[in-house]
Amino acid sequence: MASITSFSVTSFNQTHTLVPGCRISNSSSVFLSTKGRTFSPLTLQRRVPRFQIACAARPETVKKVCDIVKKQLALPDGSSVTGESKFSALGADSLDTVEIVMGLEEEFGISVEEESAQSISTVQDAADMIDELLESKSA
Amino acid sequence: MISLRHKAQLMSNIHCFGRNLVTASTSLLPVQLPRQREVHFWYVLPDEVKSTNLLNRYLEILSPCEKENIFSLRGEDIKKRALLARALVRTTLARYQTNFEIDPKSLKFRKNNYGKPELDWQYADDWSLPPLHFNISHTSSLIACGVTVGSPIGIDVEEKQRRLRNDTLAFAQRFFSPSEIDVLTRIADPELRLQEFIKLWTLKEAYVKALGKGFSASPFKTFTVRIRDRVKGDIHTPPHIISKAHDISVEPSDDLKNASSYWQFGLLDLAGSHYAAVCIEQDSIDTGNGSIPIELNLRKTIPYVEDECISATDSAVVIGGLTRLSEGH
Repeated sequence: MASITSFSVTSFNQTHTLVPGCRISNSSSVFLSTKGRTFSPLTLQRRVPRFQIACAARPETVKKVCDIVKKQLALPDGSSVTGESKFSALGADSLDTVEIVMGLEEEFGISVEEESAQSISTVQDAADMIDELLESKSA
Repeated sequence: MISLRHKAQLMSNIHCFGRNLVTASTSLLPVQLPRQREVHFWYVLPDEVKSTNLLNRYLEILSPCEKENIFSLRGEDIKKRALLARALVRTTLARYQTNFEIDPKSLKFRKNNYGKPELDWQYADDWSLPPLHFNISHTSSLIACGVTVGSPIGIDVEEKQRRLRNDTLAFAQRFFSPSEIDVLTRIADPELRLQEFIKLWTLKEAYVKALGKGFSASPFKTFTVRIRDRVKGDIHTPPHIISKAHDISVEPSDDLKNASSYWQFGLLDLAGSHYAAVCIEQDSIDTGNGSIPIELNLRKTIPYVEDECISATDSAVVIGGLTRLSEGH
C-alpha cells in the first residue's frame, strides 16, 4: 500500500492567518488584521501567557503522564509528546482517554471524578489535575 | 445491493455536458433529505482512499481553521483520518441541496454551548430549509457521519477487534453503571465479555453525543443501557420461525423534564469489522408504545468518486435496537 507522505497545498499560506489571542506583551492596543479585514483596535491587557498559568504541574508529573499516554496509544519511540499535546491530536479516541485516566489513577494512586475523567483533553490538563489531587490528599 | 456508482457517473456526465470532459466524475451525488425517523449513515474507509490528488481535493474544501488543525497533528495516518472526517461531513451535508447546489467549502459550522459541532446554516433567506443534524465518529479504519432532520443524533463506531489495556471488568467497574457491571460479570468467556463491553460502550457514547451536553454532564456511571432480548412472533408463529431481536433502552433517560420524548437506539455489525451505534431522539407522542423502528439508510462512500447503498443483504446487520436497514431513495 502506498503511503501518503505529504499533502501538497499550494494555495494555503501559513503566514496568512493570525491565531486569535496572540501574545503581544508591550503594546496596549493593536490592530488585528485577518484576510484583509481590519478590526477596530483592541486593548490587550498584559496577559500572562497561557503556558505560564498552566505550569502548576511539576515537570516530573508531566513526564509521567507523557509516558503513560505514549504507552496507551502505542506511539513510536521518537514521538514528541509534551504538556501541550492534545490526546485527540495524538490519535486518542474517547476509549483511549478513559484508559489513560485509569492508567494515571493506578500510577499516582488517585481517584479522578467521573465528570472529569472523560473530559480531560491535554497532557497538561491531566498533570495539573493529578498534582492538585495529590496535594489535597497530603493536605 | 444497489450500487449507485453507475448512476453517479451518469449524472456527472450529464452535468459535464458542454463543459470540459477531461475530469471524470466530479460531482457529489445529490440525495433527498432524511425523512422523519430516518437516519442517513455515511461512512468512508480510509484504506480505500489512497490517491494524493483526491486527498488534496478534500483539503481544498476545508476551512482555514480546519486545515490549520490538520497540519498541527502528528502522524500521517492521524492527519489523513482528520482530513477524511472533515471532508466526509462537508461533502455529505452539501448533498442535501434543496433549490441550488451547495459548495461543501461554503458550509459553516459552530459549536453549541457544550462544544457539540453543529451546522450553521447560513442560507437564512430560505426559511423552508429543514434543521439538519449530524454527528461524526471515527476509528482508524472507518469514519462515519450520521444525518437526520429535526432530531438530535449521536453515533459511535468501534472496531470489534479493539483490545483494552485494562481488564474488561476492572474497566467496567470503574466507569459503567452497577447494572451494566452486573451484565458483564455474568458473561464468563472473556472474549464475549469484551464484545459485549464494546457494544455497551458504543451505545453509551452515542447516547451522550446525542444529548449534546458533553461527557461531564452525563458521566457513564450515571445511566444504564440495557440490551434486552425481545422474541418476535406470536402464538401462531411456528417455533423455528421466531426470531430473537434485542431491544435497547437507556435509563434514567435524561429528559426528566420532557416526558414526551425518548431516545431510540440502533446497533449494527458493520462490514464484519465494526460495531456502530446510533441514537436519536423520538417524540413519544407519535410513536405510542414505541414500536416504530428507525429507518437506517446506510451508504458507503468515497466522496467525489463513488457511493454505494448498503442494504441488509450485504455485510451489515442490525444486531440491536428498534432499527431496520432501508433501501436508498
